[in-house]
Amino acid sequence: MSGRAHPPRGGPGPAAANAVLRGEAFRDPRLVAALARRIGSAVAELGRPVTLMHICGTHEHALGRFALRDLLPEGLTLLAGPGCPVCVCDSALIDAAIGLASVPGVMLASFGDMLAVPGGLPLRGEARGDVRMSLLSARARGATVRTVNSIFEAAELARAHPQREVVFFSVGFETTVVATAALLLRRPPTNLSILEANYYTPPATGLLPTLPGFAVDGMLLPGHAAAVTGTAVYRGLAAAGIACTVTGFEPADMLAGVAALLQQLLEGVARIDNSYRRVVAPEGNLRALAELTEVFEPAPRRWRGIADIPDSGFDLRPAFRRHSARTRFPDAFQAHAEAAQEHPAGCRCADVTLGRITPDACPLFGRRCTPDSPYGPCMVSHEGTCRAWQAYGMRHGRIAVRTA
Amino acid sequence: MGRYETIRLSHGSGGRLTADLVRDIFADAFASEPLAALTDAAVLENPGGRLAFTTDAHSVAPWRFPGGDIGRLAVAGTVNDLAVMGARPRYLSAAFLLEEGFRLDDLAEVARSMKRTADEAGVIIVAGDTKVVERGKGDGIYIATAGVGFVPEGRDIGPHRLAAGGVLLVNGTLGDHGLAVMAARQGLDAGSDLRSDVAPLASLVEALLRAVPATRFLRDLTRGGLAAVANEMVEGRAIGVRVFDAEVPLSADVVEMSEMLGIDPMVAANEGKLLAVVAPEDADAALAAMRAHPLGRSAAVIGDILVQPAGMALVETAYGSRRVLEMPVEEQLPRIC
Repeated sequence: MSGRAHPPRGGPGPAAANAVLRGEAFRDPRLVAALARRIGSAVAELGRPVTLMHICGTHEHALGRFALRDLLPEGLTLLAGPGCPVCVCDSALIDAAIGLASVPGVMLASFGDMLAVPGGLPLRGEARGDVRMSLLSARARGATVRTVNSIFEAAELARAHPQREVVFFSVGFETTVVATAALLLRRPPTNLSILEANYYTPPATGLLPTLPGFAVDGMLLPGHAAAVTGTAVYRGLAAAGIACTVTGFEPADMLAGVAALLQQLLEGVARIDNSYRRVVAPEGNLRALAELTEVFEPAPRRWRGIADIPDSGFDLRPAFRRHSARTRFPDAFQAHAEAAQEHPAGCRCADVTLGRITPDACPLFGRRCTPDSPYGPCMVSHEGTCRAWQAYGMRHGRIAVRTA
Repeated sequence: MGRYETIRLSHGSGGRLTADLVRDIFADAFASEPLAALTDAAVLENPGGRLAFTTDAHSVAPWRFPGGDIGRLAVAGTVNDLAVMGARPRYLSAAFLLEEGFRLDDLAEVARSMKRTADEAGVIIVAGDTKVVERGKGDGIYIATAGVGFVPEGRDIGPHRLAAGGVLLVNGTLGDHGLAVMAARQGLDAGSDLRSDVAPLASLVEALLRAVPATRFLRDLTRGGLAAVANEMVEGRAIGVRVFDAEVPLSADVVEMSEMLGIDPMVAANEGKLLAVVAPEDADAALAAMRAHPLGRSAAVIGDILVQPAGMALVETAYGSRRVLEMPVEEQLPRIC
């Protein structure tokens, strides 16, 4: 996307009235420059290196698209943490999706982001090393897979094909599960079921400070997730001494979030601030939460290549289990592989996801693993850190230019 | 129009129905003498100069989209490929692959649209062919066009003339075609003012070359948009390209739709836009010539050619920060959160 900082010449178009709502005011170069100066002086005042982390694929995209790391001072590192639902999706769930798509009469409806993600099963007849089956390779072998942009499109598919069973691969964080809950509460087609693959991030982010080597001073919390859940779910992070602030996605939003974290460090406190007040209410979206709680209950989930984390996923409650693909097609589900073998051999997606390494530290990045021919999930999904690094050339860091 | 309302397999058999189709639709719409002669090949005048020759196949779904249709696209696409080589486009051929069941009045509409576009571009359609595929084996209509133009003496436009210091211009807003078609495909076009920019650029190129005969490089910004062309320019050459993000003209509708669909307008296709590279001292004249033309009113200087980093295309943001403008990956997957 183009990082337009002002409307095109020739006067505002019909969409200009919504400019503020769309966040254009938060791309103003003067505002961004002022925030960058504030960040620079705060880091100078702290007089020590600072490491911050965000946990959202959309934040990494904003960092890339607007080259915002260029604007941060030496001594301030901003890492990408676990922010990609596709990347952490259990390989056993992908294998189940492939199994479901191969059941006669079943049509699997998936977000496009999921299609090329390798699961756990080897791709037969493939000579190039550890290549795994994906929904794309399954489709090439006759499985029925359709791309949808939402569960509502999956429901339309189910209505249009009453003789088929449509299974929606419900991948995503707490933001997307809300739509699944909303649909299941509103007379869903009886031939629609869901493959429960939604992940709840607070239990996972709460574990981050307990990991060996984790040395993060502050965290930018994802604005759209907090808009649903509210801010209190992150209090464990603040209790662990990590400065936190809920952060939006425009350049000024992100720098304002960084500045708020530095302010906490200067004050010597760790609390949960809200740098995205125009969207996020402290209590979250109560109506969405009520629907979510009515339809789903907390469940343990395997975070791919990382760990089994209690309460980090959503299972359908008994009253809705008739819409669970696991209930309808139990034979399509198999046991987990070992966590260490969940990613293809040599893939460092798990380390990238936890912010332990940057993508360019993976020997496969940009060589064996590219957006055209992805090897691991972090390069497939638009939410993946490797994909964002490749898309915006972030391995180059600050790029110096020489003119004629 | 004969006895049928839709295309039958026999329309492509070379028999009577084929003759009806050529006479009633193509010869009538194209009003071209060489075509009306119904000979096996058109025999044409040669106005002199080097010959430029190109071909392009067109499939677009939906075939009628906001701001144009596949007929206009098929003519403009080939005309523009000739024009950006400095050629004056002259003759076109058109081959149609039609799906059984395609409506004949729709075909007539496409043919008329081709004729209008050809007239705008100053080319004549001199040869054609039609084949019919079974229902379910095509997307309604595909059109392949080939074109011939003549390059006047003294014109030297091409990548060999790219050098550091060159100034990049575009003749208007980017991304309109790609986003208009994408929006139509997803049913998001209702209430939107997004229109494809599809247009033949021959007269704009002539106007530019009159004002700045020393123009170094021209490319139409079709599939892959500005990002693809910028990367092709630097590939294997000791130059870099820098695009100033805030200078790239974008309509408010394109900005809005690109945010909604998660598609970068710099990667989206255009069908009536070109990139020109001129010497810095020619930039003002080139900009003025483009802006004086109806297809260049929102032309802009958008970047320059660098010494370093060689082999890279960059975007410089309004904040002075820089990122890589990557070669686009073909598939555009919808974002999920």
